[in-house]
Amino acid sequence: MTDRISYYFKREWKILLIIAVSGIIYNLGILAGPLFEGKMTGCLVDILGGNAGFSKMIMLVVSYVVVIAVVQISRYIKRFYVRRFSNNVNKRMKSILYKSLVNKSKTELEQEGVGDVMTKAILDVDDCAEGMRKFTTEIFDTGIALSAYAGMLLYYDWRLALISMIFPPISYFIAEKMKKVVQKTGTTFKEQAGILSMATLDRASNALTYRIYGCEQERKESYEKNLSAYEKSAVRANIWGTALPPVYRVISMAGVLFILYYGSKNVLGTGWKLWDIAVFTTFLSCFTKLSEKSSHAANLFNAVHKAQVSWKRIKPLLKDIKYDNKARTITSGELTVSGLGFSYPDGGKIFSDVTFSAKPGQIVGITGAVASGKSTLGKTFLCEYPYEGSIYFDGTELRDMDSVCRAGLFGYLGHDPELFNDSIRNNVLMGDEGDVWEYLRAVCLDGEVKEMEQGCETVIGSTGIRLSGGQAQRLALARTICHKRPVIILDDPFSALDRDTENKVFDNLRRYAGDSIIIIISHRLYLFSEFDKVIWMENGRAVTGTHDEIMSKCSEYADLYKRQ
Amino acid sequence: MKSDNVTKVILSVIRKHIILTAGIIVAVAGAVITSLIPPLILAEIIDTITQGNTLPVKVMLIFFIFNYFLFIVLTGFTESIRECLLTVFGQKITHALRSTLMDKLTHMTAESLNHQEPGAVVSRFVGDVDTVENLFTSGIISMIADACRIISILAVIWFKNRGLAIVLFMLIPFIFWFTRIVQKNMLKAQLSNRIAVSRASGHVPETLHNIRTIHSLGKEKYMEEKYDTYIEESYRAIEKTNFYDALYSPIILITNAVVVAVVMVLSASGSKNVLLFFGMTAGTAVAVINYISQIFSPIESLGMEIQTIQSAVAGVHRINEFLRFDELPSEIKGDTHRSYEDYLQEDSVVSLKNVTFAYEDKKVLDNFNLEVKKGEQVTLHGRTGSGKSTVFKLILGLYEPQSGEVYVCGKKAGSISDSEKRKIFGYVEQTFHMVPGTVKDQITLYDTEVSFEEVRAAAKMAGIDETIMDFENGYDTNCTEELFSQGQLQLLSIARAVVKKPMLLLLDEITANLDAQTEESVMKALKRVSEDRTVISISHRINAETGRVINMYSF
Repeated sequence: MTDRISYYFKREWKILLIIAVSGIIYNLGILAGPLFEGKMTGCLVDILGGNAGFSKMIMLVVSYVVVIAVVQISRYIKRFYVRRFSNNVNKRMKSILYKSLVNKSKTELEQEGVGDVMTKAILDVDDCAEGMRKFTTEIFDTGIALSAYAGMLLYYDWRLALISMIFPPISYFIAEKMKKVVQKTGTTFKEQAGILSMATLDRASNALTYRIYGCEQERKESYEKNLSAYEKSAVRANIWGTALPPVYRVISMAGVLFILYYGSKNVLGTGWKLWDIAVFTTFLSCFTKLSEKSSHAANLFNAVHKAQVSWKRIKPLLKDIKYDNKARTITSGELTVSGLGFSYPDGGKIFSDVTFSAKPGQIVGITGAVASGKSTLGKTFLCEYPYEGSIYFDGTELRDMDSVCRAGLFGYLGHDPELFNDSIRNNVLMGDEGDVWEYLRAVCLDGEVKEMEQGCETVIGSTGIRLSGGQAQRLALARTICHKRPVIILDDPFSALDRDTENKVFDNLRRYAGDSIIIIISHRLYLFSEFDKVIWMENGRAVTGTHDEIMSKCSEYADLYKRQ
Repeated sequence: MKSDNVTKVILSVIRKHIILTAGIIVAVAGAVITSLIPPLILAEIIDTITQGNTLPVKVMLIFFIFNYFLFIVLTGFTESIRECLLTVFGQKITHALRSTLMDKLTHMTAESLNHQEPGAVVSRFVGDVDTVENLFTSGIISMIADACRIISILAVIWFKNRGLAIVLFMLIPFIFWFTRIVQKNMLKAQLSNRIAVSRASGHVPETLHNIRTIHSLGKEKYMEEKYDTYIEESYRAIEKTNFYDALYSPIILITNAVVVAVVMVLSASGSKNVLLFFGMTAGTAVAVINYISQIFSPIESLGMEIQTIQSAVAGVHRINEFLRFDELPSEIKGDTHRSYEDYLQEDSVVSLKNVTFAYEDKKVLDNFNLEVKKGEQVTLHGRTGSGKSTVFKLILGLYEPQSGEVYVCGKKAGSISDSEKRKIFGYVEQTFHMVPGTVKDQITLYDTEVSFEEVRAAAKMAGIDETIMDFENGYDTNCTEELFSQGQLQLLSIARAVVKKPMLLLLDEITANLDAQTEESVMKALKRVSEDRTVISISHRINAETGRVINMYSF
């Protein structure tokens, strides 16, 4: 459905109807201008010659202004709605793309650069919607208007119309031929511009090196060469772009010679048709407008072509899939892990045979040497990759649950706080109701936020760039507490905090998530003595027990703990 | 350089290309005049036709028709020529401005250079200069042309239909005012659109980055809604632009129609008093209708040109700011008659006498003295901020001491000419500055006097020759960041320093960011290059091979 272009036209049928009606009125009505101008001139001749009354002119003038007003108002309506149509299409396509992006798993997004493809596709939507807009516009403005003008010319004098209409296509044809040259010089120019920017950047960032080594003069001369090359290519590229359009205009206007000659013959009564002055001027101004319009014909083809290319790229991604994002039921339960092992799909075993269990309210600490697999153990619960052994929560095997259910049970906070470029409030609540200050207080961030100029409405910048490392970490922790889950996995959550704050935050965490199982992965051990269980990992093996047991069983752990 | 601001540069370009400038003036005037004539001829044609079918009329008619087209052709060609000349002229200005900026960069003090963010410099050189170019290609000159057009159309109408000229004369300010309001509002809407668009497009990479959190918090729906709001915001802004865009030309064209209508009614009124102002023939009527529609488009362009000029003024301002930075004192004249060989005879290679130096208000060196004799190995040792790097910068002539004197080989530091620099000292920087070009260029720094043998000898001495020869194109391989490891880049830096066989080597903490293994190969290379040379190095660490140690203390 959503991967067909007709879907988007159908969805917008009301707007398209308005566009069609106003477009036809405008483009047919556009003939009214030349028609009335001719009639008024003719009428003026009659009045000056004493063959008509003043009232006829008044009638003409009033209807002229009224018709023009109607035509122009339709034009306004048409233009406005064509743009609205393209906006709606653009938005709809982007929403669909984004929906499928946000519902893809991390592994899917990392594989084969799917993330990149999606990002580019979203850019492609702009081109596509723009192409659809131009197509819709030009169908009326070029298609209908050109045929209306041509029809009128043919109606007044078909022979003269045919002769004069030879020229606009000629000019269009030449312009198409010249396009290659224009594009070629344009590409060279872009290359040169790139080279010049690079040279400027080099000159600016290595300025002191060049000075020390006495190369400044040489560099200056070489830059001067870059400048000359740039100047040459810029002149070439721009001259084609700016100097040719007036010439094309002249060529397409060549038909005027014939119109004036044969047209005046018509008026004088010696031509193919019998004309009066009114027809003569109407014909002339009709032709002028036709030759102007015909230069837009190229736009139509370009826009459609560009839209086709981008449409082809996004089409396969536009499948509208229903995702179930319903609220989850959160219950607490016991976690039992037995014989858990993990290796990445492309080889190496990270760890194996991890067995432990935890009841609601218990805290499990995981620690070990660098690269012992403790972070991977934490991530295993996210089920991004398949695991060996079993993880039961409340009697259900984790790999048998659907992702929605799983996400409702396990909360995870990794090294990267993964913050959003949004306000502090939105970063904590993520659209939920609740008191943001309560959570900020829990992570000892309330004081700092209060001092910020806009309080919790402060926007923290991309990836939380306006916060310090410790602030970012605590903010992410506040978010995790706010979205409490029966099992909360925290990978090194206190690494950027001082010991005092760490203790306070830990106590609060315990209070807020009293009925949850908390798994803390860390290399700082001074809180470990308070934990219910400790897992020591080394070379992919795990030793499980209470703090005291591990102290006696593993000398490395004991060493590490004492050294704190 | 005398040209120290944008205006002076532009004037000097005009003076240098006087014929081009004259050509532009002629072409601009020509295009205005030739475009005025066709409607006048058209009026004659129509009036001639209405006279009836006689032989002289026919001859006249052909003559007029021919002329009518001739002037259309002429208009086309003068416009075309004007555009060509303007393009050339605009590029000449651009070129001259960039040359001036580069000249400035060459003469700027090291301190000012240090304050320049490379990206900002590029945006001055590229972006700001482009706005000045636009000032000429689509700003001032077209503005003058458009103003001329409006005035000359008004003048023609004045002779053809005095009443209409008065009407238009009163109408134009209002139209112009309306145009500006529309354009200003559109610009505002476009700006807010751009902000909204960048937010919406930033949302996608952010989603990719934070996908784990989004999933584990079950916030897919929330993120979708956020994205929709961002797009919605940008559409509200676009809708505003659409509104003004769609509104403008209908209003102008309706006004156009009303003016035509009024003129028609008045000239058909038959009242003598009115006809005094509005009376005209049928031919004139056609010409006048033609002119009326011609007068509105230059008004619209005038508004756009004002916009261009406004943004150019900001560009000019930024360029002038850059051109006002401190410059080096013009050439410290040393004893120029002394040759390189003379320096070699000097026993004292580096000598700092009672040197005092401060950055802004922070004193770094106070009455500092240092004497380094030929062949000596000296290490400057001290904490950050103790002035070690400053000593180097003084020796290299980058900075001038506030008091005291700095001599290198008996010559005042800073007065050493560019061609002598590399023969006298080699400087190994803390981080390697890669230059665009081949691997060989990294070592020669584009010095064509350096032979290939010398390049290889230097690379061998630095211990990087083998690595380079392993590349497919050897020394002619295009140099990129990925080609070398951090330590190898340091070796390359050493090769660069010694390729012209300087007598003095300055080493600036070059092992600071290296791991133990690479450090060893760098140390070996340093040992090789230090033989028979005077070496001054900066180091945190001191070992047996560091020679004489100068301890420096911070204030």
